[in-house]
Amino acid sequence: MSATPPPPPKTLYTLSFLLALLTTTFVIASLRLLTLLTRQRHRSPAKRKTSKPNARVLIVLGSGGHTHEMFYLLRDLDTRKYAHRTYVVSSGDAFSGRRAVEFERGLEEKASSAAGKHIKSVVDSPPSPNNNNNNNNNNNNNNDTSEKDRDDTWNTGPSHYTIQTLPRARRIHQPLYTTPFTALQTFLSAFPILLSQTSPNATTFDLPDLILTNGPGTAVLVIYAALVLRFFNIRGAESRGKLRTIYAESFARVSTLSLSARLVGWCVDRFLVQWEGLEGSGGGRAEWWGVLV
Amino acid sequence: MGKVCFVTTGATAPFTSLIESVLDPSSVDALLEAGFTDLLIQYGTAKETFDQHANVARERLRQKSENATLSIEGMAFNPDGLRDQFVSVQKSEGVVISHAGSGTILEALRYHISLIVVPNKQLLDNHQEELADAMERSRYLLKGDVTNLGPTILKSEGFRQEMNQFPPITSGKHRETKSFAAIMDDTLGILE
Repeated sequence: MSATPPPPPKTLYTLSFLLALLTTTFVIASLRLLTLLTRQRHRSPAKRKTSKPNARVLIVLGSGGHTHEMFYLLRDLDTRKYAHRTYVVSSGDAFSGRRAVEFERGLEEKASSAAGKHIKSVVDSPPSPNNNNNNNNNNNNNNDTSEKDRDDTWNTGPSHYTIQTLPRARRIHQPLYTTPFTALQTFLSAFPILLSQTSPNATTFDLPDLILTNGPGTAVLVIYAALVLRFFNIRGAESRGKLRTIYAESFARVSTLSLSARLVGWCVDRFLVQWEGLEGSGGGRAEWWGVLV
Repeated sequence: MGKVCFVTTGATAPFTSLIESVLDPSSVDALLEAGFTDLLIQYGTAKETFDQHANVARERLRQKSENATLSIEGMAFNPDGLRDQFVSVQKSEGVVISHAGSGTILEALRYHISLIVVPNKQLLDNHQEELADAMERSRYLLKGDVTNLGPTILKSEGFRQEMNQFPPITSGKHRETKSFAAIMDDTLGILE
């Protein structure tokens, strides 16, 4: 009797195939994520590009306190380098939008007064407004830069910024069990914003170069969305070094990290804290450069 | 203009114990001793507490002596912010006594004024106390206590000369501080 054994049921094939597929996907995804995250940490200053003109920056604003702190952080923003600003506000938060417009008006005033000064004192070589020199810069380099700066234009005015609205991740008295749904909605809505034209009159489309965040829950989801785009290298997000992320922990956090910080600390390019006691928290990633606000 | 002490209790939760503490005889006497002429209290929603204690304090001042001149005024809430109040303190080299909310701290210190912050101990899960301690350790401000504000008011007089500038020019023990703008450049590889 040479009866062939009955073929295993089809379901078994499907199951093992699925398992193999899942395992493979999981392994590949982990490796990809690992490369993304470790490359950020070990990027050496020597490999850096020397200039990146017309950078686009996306700024996530939050509720009152977070928005206030964000504009303190941005007080030295140089519009000659950061030519396009996108402000992301939560739906129903009119205050943050108003603050963004106010801030942009301030940038315009700063630019016009600086332009006036330039004409007067071309010979005197005025110091550049950012006088935080890198340690490896010697005096000659500094002179060269201020020479170059003079030709740069200040990119201010309504054509250089846009305000985008994102559904709120979690409303104030929202029951906890519905949070995943609203968070998912925020997460999905973050993609069109990251992929949309960054200013209304921009002739060329591009992804933001830098994403700036502090505490609000919305910021967490924007960072995750950016990570997904980098993971799949959509529109060259990863290969062209776009969508770099900075998270600045609130000045009010002295010895414990906020929930937002714990959620994004592992995947942002720069994780900044403002008090010495938090240095090295978040798995050793937290950098402390003193109070930043 | 005389010398101004401005007290702000915060917009969110009423901080009645701060109002009571500032209008307590020991605090009022400390203000007089330090030469203050104006006490302005932003009471927020706690108008009754303010009215009640302000009347007691004014009555006591009247009885106390003829040259004890401290005018006590109150205000509810200014939607345009507290700029005018901070400027009047700055010009008169006075003092601001504030709740320990980070927003008010950040704003007040931009005027380079002597600041006393008083954490509200009734607020749970709040980092006010921690922040106030850390800021005092860095010599940016003084931390006060609702149960004993007088000595801190007297201390704030000398503190104006020895306080550290905020935001810091340098901080950290062995290194130069970096501004947020510099960190942004650094992240994108923009060299100065």
